[in-house]
Amino acid sequence: MTDDPVAELIIRVAAQDRAAFRTLYGQTSAKLMGVLLRILGTRSEAEDALQEVFTRVWLRAGRFDATKGRGMTWLIAIARNHAIDRLRARPTAVQVVARDAEDADPVEQVRDTAPTAETRMIAAGEARRIADCFETLEPDRAEAVRGAYLGGLSYLDLAERHGVPLNTMRTWLRRSLLKLRECLDA
Amino acid sequence: MTDDLPHSPLDEDDALAAEYVLGVLALAERMAVEARVRNDSAFAARVTAWENRLAGLNDGYGDIPAPDLMPKIEARLFPQPAKARRGLFGWLAGALAAAVVAVAAVVLLQPAPPAPVIATLGEADAPLRFEARFDGAAITVTRVAGTPAPAGQVQEVWIIAPDAAPVSLGLLEGESLSVPYPQAPAGWTLAVSLEPAGGSPTGAPTGPVLAAGTITEL
Repeated sequence: MTDDPVAELIIRVAAQDRAAFRTLYGQTSAKLMGVLLRILGTRSEAEDALQEVFTRVWLRAGRFDATKGRGMTWLIAIARNHAIDRLRARPTAVQVVARDAEDADPVEQVRDTAPTAETRMIAAGEARRIADCFETLEPDRAEAVRGAYLGGLSYLDLAERHGVPLNTMRTWLRRSLLKLRECLDA
Repeated sequence: MTDDLPHSPLDEDDALAAEYVLGVLALAERMAVEARVRNDSAFAARVTAWENRLAGLNDGYGDIPAPDLMPKIEARLFPQPAKARRGLFGWLAGALAAAVVAVAAVVLLQPAPPAPVIATLGEADAPLRFEARFDGAAITVTRVAGTPAPAGQVQEVWIIAPDAAPVSLGLLEGESLSVPYPQAPAGWTLAVSLEPAGGSPTGAPTGPVLAAGTITEL
């Protein structure tokens, strides 16, 4: 367990250790802010969401199980789930506006960091495996899966973006996911 | 192999877990999946497996420095420490506190009483009423009068620090909800709101407040 300092902090947070909670914030808030800003698009909403995410981390830390996954994976799952729920709860018109505003400043900033990070990903051990498995998918489908995961795109968004009917997109993506599972579990 | 059984129930569940983790589902579908994750451990394990499978993609998120939001987060979670008392009044308060501790010690020697009620949510004759108790380690909110939310909706419990945004403690899917909590913060509000099944998607109450009450000193 010593190879996962984030998991150790979460376990201390579960024991109501407030100092560990602050350390955890110091060490992981930038990554989680990157997640929230990429999905939500505006700094003010991402900051609101970050407060909610760390509130949930404190209240749910007791349910974290270090034998089932890494600490950072658990934190990012909480952040992504909250951000995507917020995004889906927006009225449709607002979602369109937010998407049209993607060229505006904060999202662009996140985007700029993304290619570098994706290049880094090829070098990293755990991530190389997923990069190799993405190679087994057709390029536009791999792009759809990655876009959905990183940007929080819905089936509706993806169907529009790729110019295919929603049901076609659903079939594509489900097949791609099962193919990915086969490759990743091999 | 999977091509032979593309629509077996197993693959259907696993595809749904994958779609949830990927984030492509609509809000109502996401809420249904989140409810299932809470109640179906085999399905929850599928979701965790997908989170781990796709974790390699997390490197695609860059770091963005966040402002220090800890003071706001702590204000939502923890009661403020009492202000330091000074002078004679402080000494009196200290002596009084010592006396209270002495009385408490005597009380603690009695056989374990039920956890004390720290808040009543709803007027005494209200058709829907809740009670909150604190046993030293957890706050338990119980519906003591009235019925559960109608189908498709759920009662959600919130704790609210003075001048802070409500924090969800969870959903009242049965008659009571127990949440580990280090202390019972006097002066904070407990409230129950009516939310869509699966709970508020936004992290803030969206439906009407059904009942509320203030936590009193133990």
